[in-house]
Amino acid sequence: MRFQLLASRGVASASKPAKIKAGLILSRIPIVTPDLTTLERQYYEYQSELERRLMWTFPQYFYFRKGTLAEKRFLAAQKGPVSKQPGVWFPKGVPDIKHNRERSLKQEVSLPQSSSSESNEGVSKKDDISRPVVPNSRLTHADESNDVQSLERKLSSTLYLLVKSGAGKWAFPSFPIATESAPKQPLHVTAELGLRVLGGPNINTWSVSSTPAGVLGDSQAAEFLIKSHIISGRFELQSKSQYDEFAWLTKNEIQQRVDNEYYQALSCLLADD
Amino acid sequence: MRFFRGFSTSQKSCKAACSLVKPVHHLVKVDKSKLSPRFEELKYAKNDVRSPGFRPVATHQDRISEHYHRTVQPDLLLINYSHNAQIKKGAKNREWDYSSPYHLNRQPRKPKGSEVQLPDMKPIKWHNIPELESIVVNCYVKESKENQLLPVSAALQLQQLTGCKPQAVYAKTDVPSWKVRRGTHMGAKVEIRGRPMAQFLSTLTEIVLPRIREYKGISNKSGNRFGGLSFGLTSEDVKFFPEIESNQDLWPKTFGMHININSSAQNDIQARTLVSGFGFPFNGPEKLK
Amino acid sequence: MISFRQAALKPARQPVLQFARGKRTKTKGNLTPAVQRVVTQLSVMSASRKQPKMLKLSREDFIKHQTIQNCWAVHQKELREKRSEQLRLQYKSTEKAMELLAQLDPTLFEAANASEAGKRFPLELKVPTEYPPNQIWYHNYKPKSE
Repeated sequence: MRFQLLASRGVASASKPAKIKAGLILSRIPIVTPDLTTLERQYYEYQSELERRLMWTFPQYFYFRKGTLAEKRFLAAQKGPVSKQPGVWFPKGVPDIKHNRERSLKQEVSLPQSSSSESNEGVSKKDDISRPVVPNSRLTHADESNDVQSLERKLSSTLYLLVKSGAGKWAFPSFPIATESAPKQPLHVTAELGLRVLGGPNINTWSVSSTPAGVLGDSQAAEFLIKSHIISGRFELQSKSQYDEFAWLTKNEIQQRVDNEYYQALSCLLADD
Repeated sequence: MRFFRGFSTSQKSCKAACSLVKPVHHLVKVDKSKLSPRFEELKYAKNDVRSPGFRPVATHQDRISEHYHRTVQPDLLLINYSHNAQIKKGAKNREWDYSSPYHLNRQPRKPKGSEVQLPDMKPIKWHNIPELESIVVNCYVKESKENQLLPVSAALQLQQLTGCKPQAVYAKTDVPSWKVRRGTHMGAKVEIRGRPMAQFLSTLTEIVLPRIREYKGISNKSGNRFGGLSFGLTSEDVKFFPEIESNQDLWPKTFGMHININSSAQNDIQARTLVSGFGFPFNGPEKLK
Repeated sequence: MISFRQAALKPARQPVLQFARGKRTKTKGNLTPAVQRVVTQLSVMSASRKQPKMLKLSREDFIKHQTIQNCWAVHQKELREKRSEQLRLQYKSTEKAMELLAQLDPTLFEAANASEAGKRFPLELKVPTEYPPNQIWYHNYKPKSE
């Protein structure tokens, strides 16, 4: 049954040799987490405040042994709750304190400055645990200069490699299947080899699967799209190629550059910003 | 002999092979605490803010699940694609041929080549892409048969590493050769899901595993056939967790533990591909089948 | 009565047990350090004396809370449906491509439909972090010559 099917297809393709191309959707996966929407940010804030309010009291007696210098230093760094006084009116309720924590509020634990930083400041900044954490910026130089050829732009979204052909049309790079070689190369091998020819050998990629993720065109001329991720290295457009320019673009930017028809066929394969 | 029904017992009054009338007693379970008018707030679900057990869940962005949804899930869909795949039937119980009268009330015949029935293998489509379900960390301390203080420390270690409350583990049976007696407190375990699971996973793959000397990865032989992978950490490896490393004087003794990753994958091959997407290295030849 | 007064006047000579309400009579010193450590460890895990007061929301606050929760649930549901729809479209797209490939070129189809058991994500594909690392991208990759 299967053999018959294959045979009939073989006959069909032999009568009219179709043009098959292997397209490549090369993506750089996000490096930072997606930007939070206002709703998400506010909801997380609300929930984490609730969590802090409902948290159990920090068991400091476990981390700082009783009677040690560390315990003294820790206790000195705490602000301490307001305690109950006879004959005093408390507008927000009478304090209910257990283990040095006001039970109706969230507990704020502050770490003591390490001793070395107190004595000689600026000398051992790196040893100080309570030094402020300064994260790197989520916006990079490439974002500021809007350098679309850089892999360091738009860290929070997936970038895709697009190339501009001589006719001025942006598209994913595609490579024709070599028909001469007797054992045909699978689609993903053709795409990977073609990428090395197009963008130089110093590029490390990982083909997701040998299965094409989508197809453009019809049975006369079809372009099968292979998904792949770039892991390291750089894409440098070689001279003497059929393309003029390349860019690493997000889904929204792709929509602005390519034809509507092309975008509609592909939009489901691309990850949202 | 007259058939009569004993309502207070399922014991057969007249010794037939089986009772033809099924007992009706005790089928409906009644949670009597729900009927009582006292402690109204105990009747609310745990995710209701009025319940005393309420704890907020979504307190921060879950970067592991974001990574899964943006990158791993579409890739797994493509990796597991097989054209025109059909449901592959698992081994099921067989019928007796009733050539003997004794077949009538026999247990169903075991499936061919297996002791138990096996689930069907369904083709992976958009709605059943493998995903992580939970992680069970269990810590069985051999020496606790002599020292009953050790399981408490083991439980605290799990609590510190996962941030969730562990359960006690007791010896199930007497094992005379190991001098284990039934009911002895032997260790602790904890099942984590959601954000605590993501936190534990990322600590493991980003801090702990890279620092283990000559760590090769999870063995490719690991797996329970149905999408669960397990591996172990020794008591030395556990010291690399930041919670323990920064308080070393509190932990004169650490305990090795087993980590079981449960996923919704249908077999271990899919599960290993899934788990590798979160940065776990694997080691050894791939075990197909 | 007299003897009692004498004892009270001269406590130094004979120690008198004075009971004070709420004062511990048993000292903790009896426990060995190992047991004491485990007692501390147990108290870290137990809820006693560590639990905060229960939340008592007013009716208005409770309704506000419920509204927020409903809003979040709707948001999550929309996200879920959007993702599911996109995955469905991706699956259909793959299916369409494979059907066309099977028509056009059976050998390429066989290669594309091969089982991918043992496929692993490379370790270099890192889970995104909240803020970028110091070196964002490794540019100087050189393929290993074989």
